[in-house]
Amino acid sequence: MLIILVMCIGIAVGKFLIPRKAKNINAKISLLCTLTLIFSMGAMLAARENFFGELMSLGIKSFLFFLFPTAFSVAVVFFMSGLMKKKDKNKKRQEK
Amino acid sequence: MILLTLSALLLGVICGLNVPDNIIVSMLSENSDIILYILMFSVGISIGMQDGIFRKLRDYNIKIFIIPLGIIIGSTLGGLVCSLLLNVPVFKGMAVADGMGWYSLSGVTIGKLGGAELGSIAFMSNLMREIFSFMLIPFLAKLGPFCCIASAGATSEDTTLPIILKYTNEETVVLSVINGAVCSFFVPILISLWFGFV
Repeated sequence: MLIILVMCIGIAVGKFLIPRKAKNINAKISLLCTLTLIFSMGAMLAARENFFGELMSLGIKSFLFFLFPTAFSVAVVFFMSGLMKKKDKNKKRQEK
Repeated sequence: MILLTLSALLLGVICGLNVPDNIIVSMLSENSDIILYILMFSVGISIGMQDGIFRKLRDYNIKIFIIPLGIIIGSTLGGLVCSLLLNVPVFKGMAVADGMGWYSLSGVTIGKLGGAELGSIAFMSNLMREIFSFMLIPFLAKLGPFCCIASAGATSEDTTLPIILKYTNEETVVLSVINGAVCSFFVPILISLWFGFV
């Protein structure tokens, strides 16, 4: 919840306090933070005991448990958002 | 961007392996929450600078929940298929898949409820979902912005958010944050629910 609160404060600051010119600087800060987070994630993972041992022994099972849920999620959301768009189009046609 | 992301990850792994006691590395790791807050503040500023974004979101209404619902249904179905393929008990498989990318929580929780091996599978598979999302999002963006969020699952409100921002737009970013919050809310509930049937 704190993350959402921080973002909301950011939205208010971006809307009322920061000039439009600062957009590029803000994008750079965002990129720097992202790369730092990914770097620290990699460092934390590698420091985990027996990480590569786990990766080798359970790799294929884990890969399938990543692949199928991700692929199904994308497929279901793609299908549902398509339906949503169709409904909206029909509604607009009827309104006209 | 993908190259930069992968380089950062690889560099982090190399540093973690070779210099585990490095002060800079441990300082960054310990303060990753603060970096995440700075990132969210910066993302907030980016959203705040967009004109008319909230009007667009208001137009979505209840339809805003279609994405997390689709992700939960898709992940659960994926877990079911994996269980059948790998001969893992169905409810345990669905619990692993419903980690939806939140590897730290699902790894620990499933490890406690279902044993170390299943916990490791939950950790690794959900970590893979996060890492592969970085690489998949640029291609999924061609299918539509919602598909980027679907791949990211519960991580769409934090780690994968900047990549989503890069390849979609500010409107999708707001949907992405809402989706991440909803999915994160349901991860512990779904894991407990499926283990209740074991």
